Amino acid sequence: MAEETKKPEGSRSGAVKRLNATATASAYQKEWFAGLKKRVEAGEPFGYLNADVPMEVLRAMDIPFVVNQWWAAICGAKRMTKKYFGLLRDAGYRDDLCSYCATAFAESLDPDDKNFDEEGKPMGPWGGLPDPTVAITRLTCDCQGKIFEQFSANHGASFYAMENTVARKVPLTWKDKIEYDWEDFYDTDRIDEAVGELRQMIRFLEQETGKMFDMNKLEHVMNLINEQESYYKKTRDLIAYCHPVPVTVVDTINAVMQAQWQRGTEWGRDHAKSLYEEVKALADKGVAAVPNEKYRLMWLGRGIWHDFSFYQSFEEKYGAVFMWSMYLAMGADAYIRYHVEEDPLRALAARYIGMEDFLHMPPWNSQWYLDQIEQNDIDGVVYMIPGNCMQAVEGSYFIQKAIEDAGVPVLKFEADPVDPRKWSAENMRGFVNEFIETKVIPNKEKKNK
Amino acid sequence: MSIRDCALKSAAFSKLKEFYDHREDGIKAARKKGTKVIAELGCDVPDELLLAGGLMPVRIYADPDRELVQTNKYLEFSFDPIVRAQFEKIIDGTYGDLVDAMVVSNSTDVIIRIYLYLREMHRVEPEKNIPEVEFIDWLFTRNLLYQQRNEFLLGLFQETVERWAGRKISDEEIIEAAKVCNADKAALRKIGELRHGKEVRINGSEALVIIGSAFFMDRKEHTKLVEEVAKEAASWPVIDAPRVFFTGSNQESTDLYDKIEASGVVIVGEDHDWGDRFYDRDFNLDYTVRRALVDCYMLREFSSKKAFTSQRVAALNREVEKTAADGVIFYMNEYEEAASWDYPPQKKSLEAAGKKTLYFAKMKWPFKDSEDISAKLDAFANDLKGGR
Repeated sequence: MAEETKKPEGSRSGAVKRLNATATASAYQKEWFAGLKKRVEAGEPFGYLNADVPMEVLRAMDIPFVVNQWWAAICGAKRMTKKYFGLLRDAGYRDDLCSYCATAFAESLDPDDKNFDEEGKPMGPWGGLPDPTVAITRLTCDCQGKIFEQFSANHGASFYAMENTVARKVPLTWKDKIEYDWEDFYDTDRIDEAVGELRQMIRFLEQETGKMFDMNKLEHVMNLINEQESYYKKTRDLIAYCHPVPVTVVDTINAVMQAQWQRGTEWGRDHAKSLYEEVKALADKGVAAVPNEKYRLMWLGRGIWHDFSFYQSFEEKYGAVFMWSMYLAMGADAYIRYHVEEDPLRALAARYIGMEDFLHMPPWNSQWYLDQIEQNDIDGVVYMIPGNCMQAVEGSYFIQKAIEDAGVPVLKFEADPVDPRKWSAENMRGFVNEFIETKVIPNKEKKNK
Repeated sequence: MSIRDCALKSAAFSKLKEFYDHREDGIKAARKKGTKVIAELGCDVPDELLLAGGLMPVRIYADPDRELVQTNKYLEFSFDPIVRAQFEKIIDGTYGDLVDAMVVSNSTDVIIRIYLYLREMHRVEPEKNIPEVEFIDWLFTRNLLYQQRNEFLLGLFQETVERWAGRKISDEEIIEAAKVCNADKAALRKIGELRHGKEVRINGSEALVIIGSAFFMDRKEHTKLVEEVAKEAASWPVIDAPRVFFTGSNQESTDLYDKIEASGVVIVGEDHDWGDRFYDRDFNLDYTVRRALVDCYMLREFSSKKAFTSQRVAALNREVEKTAADGVIFYMNEYEEAASWDYPPQKKSLEAAGKKTLYFAKMKWPFKDSEDISAKLDAFANDLKGGR
């Protein structure tokens, strides 16, 4: 029997979420955001960051910040995308580009963002985005700098860009080892350069905010992150070995993604611990998220923020459960960097430069997915590629080939994580239905013979 | 207005056009003589280093007629059509047969991905006839930290070039090669003057041929022919037409320019990498070699891909002023998204200065003529003529 299910109040996704940790994270984010707004209104500096910016620095400096992709997900979940991309079009921009990264820029064109409607309800998501003091991005695609610079101008924020470097080292196996021996997995000159970048960013932040960076605080933040991510590792490992799984991606994505943006705080660490304990309790009781679990599916790509119920559409009919997404597994495998005390900035550099390698560069990503397929006993992979995003281009051919060569079927399709205009719920469910019927089920039957 | 008779009657121009039209002839001739040929993907590979090593740099280009038999299997939706077509030639063995190695420069995010894919193909599909691939991880944000990293990275690249050349390359050899490249740029600047000086005597299509032929032939011979064309073109008929600046996608052929200029305007400059940007900045002979190389490529006029919007607005304003253009045509192929983010502020800035603009986005490649395009170009040309 599944645990009593919960649908958070106000949720429009239609998805059924089972965990307290998910609801707690959502509630905390709202509370935290309200607190952030108060701090900004009281005159504190506020940072707006792209997801790949080393936010640990701002955490250590006690500069509150919002992450671009998280905010885009909030806007997507609030169904604001259509309005925002209409505003882009009206301002002469194309409305079909970079939806994940440009949502907040589009929002900055909305004159009603901080206004209230006739019923006194805020018109912008969660009352709209406060004006940041600084906006920081990394140049991980050609559009990033252009979007962030214009976003900054619209908000009156100081714009800062960090470069992105390409790995010459391409290790095939890195999981677990990289946590300890991170220096060996990256070109030394790349880490040196990244440390230089961090020092420059720190100086920029010190000048813009009047706050001093303290290495001791960064060490503390880094250690908290290691603890938090270690709980994700335990959670991922636990789910992987449970047959049937106690939770699905609908539970874990939101629980982890929201808390991941709070990494480096006691709350983030404690939340990750509570997530693990809650999942473990379910596992210990033998609770099944999908009691008739037959097929374990891996979701590759960004979350479909505007239609989370999609992930649960195949449970009843097929016993097919989306039990893996990168959101939990990334925390488990990509963030932990031990030996922080030797040089916290260097350890941080060895985390943030690796994100692009890890996510978007074969064989870093393809070999990791293979490892995860094996660990999680995956029967099929559903792989979403955003059609309007070069940043998300990650060698899908190589990933698909590696997985299929390992005997696991892959369904690859194009969709948009935040723009519902490009999403046909019926068609997408139809594709996956067909994939399960024609690939996943026969493949598993063949294996079991 | 396509390439005019006055140009075609010029022996020097015709020779350049031969190299431009038959791009592999120069490559084959060089290899026949024992010269190693290095293909470049991206416009930021320092020719000076390759030439100093006795190697011939050539630009990778797309074949508009070739079916993408293999490419669509490897590349996701968001790769632009020119890069797709270039990729096909790289992985179908064309360049494997034609050149000794290739270099990808970090000139756009798209071709960084191409490099990563080719590197992975070498690992997982080693049987494919793909040239050895080297990468130059330029950082273009203007900052001392990045300038110094670029110097380090060029050191790594020089080591590769030396391996290809089979010998060490001295600073003196690089300086000599830089003088060759600088002389070529100086010759091309004379062509530039004839395009956008007080009187326009060279049209856009002719300029593309003159500039683009450099990518497929011996550089000294190119310089000599360009100098001859510059002398002859000084007496070619003046083109009395509204002056247009072209910004946007690379134009590897004259097809689009022919079409635009047929509407009765003349293209007096462009900011893409198959045009004026090629000869924008010299190797500064007063600097140390490594610094001069970095200076030359890092500090050229901003590219449409690797620059912030404010930089692109200022750059376009500068170019339009320099070329005395009456109007600007923005033209972007489908999936070439980056420059689209610059367009609204650029348009606003240009229009504030009284310049007219015409915008094409999500365009198909290869260029296909249509009534819609013709109507827009004709209307734009008439609009510009109204002010003269």
